[in-house]
Amino acid sequence: MIEVHNLAKHYKIAKRDPGLRGAVKSLFYRKYETKEAVKGINLHIEASEMVGYIGANGAGKSTTIKMLTGILTPTSGEVKVNGIVPYENRKQNASHIGAVFGQRTQLFWDIPVRESYELLKHIYEIPQKQYEETLAEFVEVLHLEPLLGIPVRQLSLGQKMRCELAAAFLHRPKVVYLDEPTIGLDVAVKVRIRSFIKQMNARYGTTVLLTTHDMQDIEEICQRIIIIDDGSVIYDGSIQNIKSQFGDKRVIHFELENSDNFILPQELAHAAQVLPREEEDLHKISITFSSRDISGAELISIMMNHYTVADLTIADPKIETIVEEIYGRGMKKEVQHEEVH
Amino acid sequence: MIRYIKLYYLFCKQNLKVMMEYRMDFLLGVLSVMLQQFAGIFFVKIVFDHIHELNGWTFYEILFIYGIAATGRSIHHIFFDNLWTLGWQYIRPGKFDRLLIRPINPLFHFIADRLQQDGFGQLFIGIIVLGTAMPHLDISWGFMEYVILIIMIIASGFIFVAVNLFFATLSFWMVDSLPIVWTIFNLSDFARYPLTIYHKGIRHLLTWIIPYGFTAFYPAAYFIKGSGFENLALLTPVAAIVSCALAYLFWNRGLKAFTSTGS
Amino acid sequence: MRKYIEFARVQMQVHAAYSAWFWANTFSVLLRMLVIYFFWKAVYSNRSEIEGMSFDGMTTYIIIAMFLQMFVSGVGRELAHTIKDGNVAIELMRPYHLITRLIAMDIGDKVIYFIRGALPLGILAFVFMDVTLPSTWQSGVLFLLSALMGIWIGTFFDLLIAILAFWTINLWGLEVMKEAVVSFFSGALVPLILFPEWFQTISLFLPFQAMVYVPVAIYTGILTGTEAWLAVGSQLIWAVLLFGLLRVLWSVAMKKVTIFGG
Repeated sequence: MIEVHNLAKHYKIAKRDPGLRGAVKSLFYRKYETKEAVKGINLHIEASEMVGYIGANGAGKSTTIKMLTGILTPTSGEVKVNGIVPYENRKQNASHIGAVFGQRTQLFWDIPVRESYELLKHIYEIPQKQYEETLAEFVEVLHLEPLLGIPVRQLSLGQKMRCELAAAFLHRPKVVYLDEPTIGLDVAVKVRIRSFIKQMNARYGTTVLLTTHDMQDIEEICQRIIIIDDGSVIYDGSIQNIKSQFGDKRVIHFELENSDNFILPQELAHAAQVLPREEEDLHKISITFSSRDISGAELISIMMNHYTVADLTIADPKIETIVEEIYGRGMKKEVQHEEVH
Repeated sequence: MIRYIKLYYLFCKQNLKVMMEYRMDFLLGVLSVMLQQFAGIFFVKIVFDHIHELNGWTFYEILFIYGIAATGRSIHHIFFDNLWTLGWQYIRPGKFDRLLIRPINPLFHFIADRLQQDGFGQLFIGIIVLGTAMPHLDISWGFMEYVILIIMIIASGFIFVAVNLFFATLSFWMVDSLPIVWTIFNLSDFARYPLTIYHKGIRHLLTWIIPYGFTAFYPAAYFIKGSGFENLALLTPVAAIVSCALAYLFWNRGLKAFTSTGS
Repeated sequence: MRKYIEFARVQMQVHAAYSAWFWANTFSVLLRMLVIYFFWKAVYSNRSEIEGMSFDGMTTYIIIAMFLQMFVSGVGRELAHTIKDGNVAIELMRPYHLITRLIAMDIGDKVIYFIRGALPLGILAFVFMDVTLPSTWQSGVLFLLSALMGIWIGTFFDLLIAILAFWTINLWGLEVMKEAVVSFFSGALVPLILFPEWFQTISLFLPFQAMVYVPVAIYTGILTGTEAWLAVGSQLIWAVLLFGLLRVLWSVAMKKVTIFGG
């Protein structure tokens, strides 16, 4: 369904001196800096697959999605979605894709939700009968009935997102791109949204490409994940695989009475690493380790032998941690080590 | 094409519904624009209380020019007002992407997104002014004259549209070109009066470069005997078509630049 | 006091940061000056005076009035938007008076605009467009005094209108309407002596002529001697009246915010 071959996108960023002089100067002469947002990636996604597309902020996720939707033209490489080159036949591509872009609403701000759907029906040329069936189904699954008469601007975040999702799937698109569909929502809404996505996939075979920072979303919806970092795909495989490889990752944050001259205790050197400290919270020491090498309890007790621990929290492994970890399998680990010791 | 007309009708219907929801604002908007236009007309009236003609043009001839400009501009104001917002409401907050993933022409979608109620004030004033001025012109108003007048007014409206579209398109490269659009739009102030009162340079600028002369003075001159511009006046529809075509080509280039750089 | 001076200073920097708008504005003012010049030149093409005003006197009046009009509107727009987007509630918790802060920012804005915009453009007008200096130094001094009062009146009127945002939604309409009324009645477009008798009489009882007409009429010698002093006296009354009215309306509006939550 989605075929991507050697896809790359380079941005030219004009550098400009500040002030009026800079503005005038830039009229005649510009210095450019090239930023490689996406560096030759390959993707092959079958119809009705549900894929998590993850990576840290600025890794190239949204640039890729923009190229897949036809909003952005690639610098080089090939893209085909359902046999169509999106940036060449944008309109044709648009009629069988759906999208939810995070906080940006797709619906029409001032008019009631039902009227928005009515307009979308005409924009996407959905046959009346199909439209009625689909809407009835969505209303039931997403509990939209009480929202249909309300203008979008008056909806809460969770209500809006439910309506957004319905709008994205309304024309029964072959591919749906979901960018952070659960961000900022409470657990009950998240659950409803996840089950809706799964249901759509099961019933219509919709291909779903999901970007999210929420591990739970990925685990419940996707069979496969693709991790992108710094413009390159660094992992493409099943979620089971990544879980067995990295699911044993743990992070514990320590707050020490005195952390100025902190070094990792000798006993832990073989089994754990210290993560770089965060600017805003220099007192917090974060230690990452694998539960196969050492148990959490053991690590904590060793730490407490060496330092006065004021407080500690055991964190879930975040996407960022895993991405960093995969990337760090290469050379990054050594660099980190040196900084610490 | 039929599909787009139908879609536009649907967009309009929604926009009108929203408008009716805020009835007070609708009235306030219409009233305010009428007042604004009226201030300009009153100014001309005051001046003509003290003189009989301006550079050979009578009060009603000036009023007629004014009326064509106001009616023409109302077309732009009612239906194409969204052009002002391209940079700060669409490109900067990323809302323009939404238009690009819809299976319809993005310019159409962008324009149809808004119907500006306040423009109706402009339309009313324009019609009132035209109605006042027309009986005083030295011409007999037959069917053909009305047809030509309507064509001229539509052409005038589309010249406003073309100029704004052209300069709004710059937003694709510079995020928000509103200051430029606004400045250029202010040039249309010249067009309220007979171009003959200005320096030659200004006249050429407003005829051949930014064709605001065709939004009021030239079309009006068609109906004024002995104005000396009857032939140039006939170019008004041509000027409208050419400038719209140029602006649309430029828009497409801008769109292309936008899809290759993003924002 | 110190913090309000800071606000004014910061506003000057903000003004400098929006250079695209500054140039757009400068260019638009230039265009408007050209339109005015050619229009009045055409008006005077076969007569030497209108209501006792020569071409030089007329252009001087219109250009000075145009500049002054730029200073008689104020920060109403900011106030109206603060009210509209609900930020007014947050502003009220801050350790300053919102209106005073806005006025401080407005002063900063106007000072910097005077230096960067009005002054150079004004000099241009003097050199190229036959704009003349006031006839006597006394009328020059009185003009400055009267202009400051006109700006004061305009600023407070602007804020008064902005408070109406508590009760309406279409800010743009409100703003346009106010602009139209002000340019209509203030004498910014044309000297009020050219208006019909009845219109001049109505204007006497409105605050608008105090914004532009009075100072510029003093400058150009339309108002002299006792007449001029009387006009300045009426300006003073308007200044005090509008100041008081703003305070009253503001406290009514604040009650609405604190009791009904805006």
